[in-house]
Amino acid sequence: MIPEQEIVTKEKQQVEGTEKTRPGRYFVPDVDICENDDALRLWADMPGVSEKDVEVMLKDNMLTITGMVDASMYNQLAPIYTEYNVGNYYRQFTLNEEVDDSRIKARMRNGVLEVELPKREQAKPRKIQVQSA
Amino acid sequence: MALIRFQDLDPVRHLLTLQQELDRFQRNPGVSLGPSGYGAFPPVNLFEDREGMVAIAELPGVEAEAVKVMGQGRTLTISGERRRETPADSTGYHRRERPFGEFSRSIQLPENLDLANASASVAAGVLTVRIPKAESAKPRQISVQSR
Repeated sequence: MIPEQEIVTKEKQQVEGTEKTRPGRYFVPDVDICENDDALRLWADMPGVSEKDVEVMLKDNMLTITGMVDASMYNQLAPIYTEYNVGNYYRQFTLNEEVDDSRIKARMRNGVLEVELPKREQAKPRKIQVQSA
Repeated sequence: MALIRFQDLDPVRHLLTLQQELDRFQRNPGVSLGPSGYGAFPPVNLFEDREGMVAIAELPGVEAEAVKVMGQGRTLTISGERRRETPADSTGYHRRERPFGEFSRSIQLPENLDLANASASVAAGVLTVRIPKAESAKPRQISVQSR
């Protein structure tokens, strides 16, 4: 059976520019961001990160996501062939939309972080009735 | 279908980089395994431990039920499908970076492994397949008798 569409894996990009206080390498997680009238939704691929090791922060319209990988399982293992690197995840976004930070929801499912960022009432699009004079 | 053939791996280069990576690996909490490549999905790392071989693959967003792990002869195949969770009411994407679709990968394993007794588990989007050594490949103590 040959799949119709083959997925390819991109090389993980290391986070550049900032240096963390904790040692270890940080990678940029792949994200999808989509928008509707009420909210922005974000998904970030962070395989190996469990819900207790993920942090979502919103400050001054800057959304920061950090995921720490538990690498202790690798202590007993000797690599013989490797295709990807293991490390933590870090990414920052500046939000254009006015987000209601009291209603942000985030959850972790199968190594994917899902964040829902509801828009503030005044930031929602409003249709203005056009009247004939 | 992407296939890694165990024999294809350059033994000399791997032995040299292996030792370096191994040293770095144990020092660095971030775990360095050398450059990661562009290639087939899911990316797979192969390890060895005392019990046998361990294959670890990154499958974020894929449920345990959606992954099929098959062993046949000396070939280990990981297949399944990664589905996009599409919100019905979205007005548009700002970013679409995550890959989706069907996948199938086969790994040719070395001899002396017992694929029939392999076990697989998924945790936090990471698939771990443990393949124990065959009985015949395990070290055995031979009792010494005095006469």
